[in-house]
Amino acid sequence: MCNYSERDRASMGERVALDLDLVKGFRFFDPHIHMVSRTTDDYQAMADAGVVAVIEPAFWVGQPRTGIDTFRDYYSSLIGWERFRASQFGIKHFCTIGLNSREANNEALAEAVMELLPFFIYKEGVVGVGEIGFDDQTAAEEKYYRLQLELAKDAGLPVQVHTPHRDKTKGTSRSMDIALEHGLDPGKVIIDHNTEETVKEVLERGFWAAFTIYPFTKMGNERMVEIVKQYGPERILVNSAADWGISDPLAVPKTAALMVKSGIPKEVIEQVCFKNAVAAFGQSGQLDESMLTESMVIDQGQKFEGNSILRGGQQPRRDAGSIIIS
Amino acid sequence: MKDEVDLTNKRDTDAERLANQIVRHVSDEEWGVLTDQINQLANDPQPNTLARVFTAIPRTIRSADKDLRITFDETAPVNSDQLPLLVKDWSLARLVRVWVLMNLPALEQQAYVSLIDRLFKYGEMEELVALYSALPIYHDPAAWKPRCTEGIRSNMAPVRQAIILNNHYPSRFLDEGAWNQLVLKAFFTDEDIPQIIGLKTRNNAALAGALVDYAYELHAAKRNINPFLWVLVAPFLDDRAYRLMEQLIQESEHRSTRKAVAYAFSASSFAPAADFIKENSELTDLLDTADTPWDGWLDQTD
Repeated sequence: MCNYSERDRASMGERVALDLDLVKGFRFFDPHIHMVSRTTDDYQAMADAGVVAVIEPAFWVGQPRTGIDTFRDYYSSLIGWERFRASQFGIKHFCTIGLNSREANNEALAEAVMELLPFFIYKEGVVGVGEIGFDDQTAAEEKYYRLQLELAKDAGLPVQVHTPHRDKTKGTSRSMDIALEHGLDPGKVIIDHNTEETVKEVLERGFWAAFTIYPFTKMGNERMVEIVKQYGPERILVNSAADWGISDPLAVPKTAALMVKSGIPKEVIEQVCFKNAVAAFGQSGQLDESMLTESMVIDQGQKFEGNSILRGGQQPRRDAGSIIIS
Repeated sequence: MKDEVDLTNKRDTDAERLANQIVRHVSDEEWGVLTDQINQLANDPQPNTLARVFTAIPRTIRSADKDLRITFDETAPVNSDQLPLLVKDWSLARLVRVWVLMNLPALEQQAYVSLIDRLFKYGEMEELVALYSALPIYHDPAAWKPRCTEGIRSNMAPVRQAIILNNHYPSRFLDEGAWNQLVLKAFFTDEDIPQIIGLKTRNNAALAGALVDYAYELHAAKRNINPFLWVLVAPFLDDRAYRLMEQLIQESEHRSTRKAVAYAFSASSFAPAADFIKENSELTDLLDTADTPWDGWLDQTD
């Protein structure tokens, strides 16, 4: 998000030119990205870089909602329109559904949202309850975090936990304490936005540790490389959390490229950039690896004089390098 | 050994026909679950029960082949006021969902409509595809006009296709304005036009006028014009249409366009069109309709 502190280029370390040839042939799964805020150019670039699947957690949209209908329409767009938009680029779109921590503080609205959630969490392609957890760590946030943990437990769904920016280490520990208190299996809980400070405890307690590669405010990918070197690939996930702020929808492929350059073995990269996401969220019963290897069915449709009509999975490509638009 | 399906108190042979398809592709246990659910809903169609059953269909039939696509001839409706259902390249989940909807009892209209409306309101993409595919089989058919009109505006291609293509509902129930929007939308989104049911019976002058405007717009933009457009324009040929068509039949680099215009001219009573064909006998080979999408159009009854 936008509240980054000014940094000059020199303080940001050595610049490494973008070279995605390093990860040619890799498949990537970005298990946290807010595609409603992204353009078709992003989808195209992601598909070109090898991203075959994404999970879009329900979150706030920058502007606080003031009514239940905007929540419903948002959730509907995650299981409808956005899913279709992704499919046009051959990307499988899954989502997690939940009441985010920021908006949990609007209690009147939060109550109404809680009544809405059961209509959505059992839908096809909903791979968890998320992203839920703490932001300011208020009493209201705690209340709705607990209620939604119960909901996830009843539905047998994984939980995607947002950890706070401020007072992160304590907030992360507390999020895990509460999840365990409610009897959740830590193997079904993905703790997100980890740092060097939180990862050890998260892994030791048996949770999944997700890392968000997000410029300025969250992890940088050089730090990510070091974490994988230190902790290995077990239960570690990499995501972009790209949204409406200054963020990078190619964070997963770029991080993988940096891992290749850093000499991390291919199997390890595949595990943290693809397989672990499938394993963690596959526990929903809504996602398995075979769904991601299905070749996209491209219906060429009827041909008129050899001009095929483009259908799903095969979008016309605009020429970004030309001033001509036709 | 599975029992032959007997749902005699439900929606007749249509539902049986779907059931006989479904039973072949699911396990005995899954079939048992499905029939229990159908019976439960038939006796007591609670909105929450229906929502749960409907949403969970892909999970209920987990053993079925996900790549399976089912096609069969139109179901023959028992009552003449019931529209046939056309199943073409459907997934099994879509077929089962429509079958579940077929088996719902005819409640008092408001209750019935709100029961299904709620499924629309919370539907994900595949659910919406099934819900719109089922337009021909709902009770109180006229009550679904606004829903159908709304669905044509959907940005999700599979949802829109479930209404526009191979569906008997729109041509039977939409008013002219909504029907014309459906056809225009189909051209705009490059659908396979001959798969629209009722294209011939619902063809009208206002539609032809809008299609000619659209053709002029595409022509100005140097974009391709779907040749089938001219087949719909043919009965309503006028000066404006003729001017563009005369140019296309002589200049178009696409043979299918020249053939479509030739066909439209030959089918038209507009004098300049008939004269054009007479005076340009070298164009008669364009009149061969074999392998064109409009082959058989003259004999088509809907």
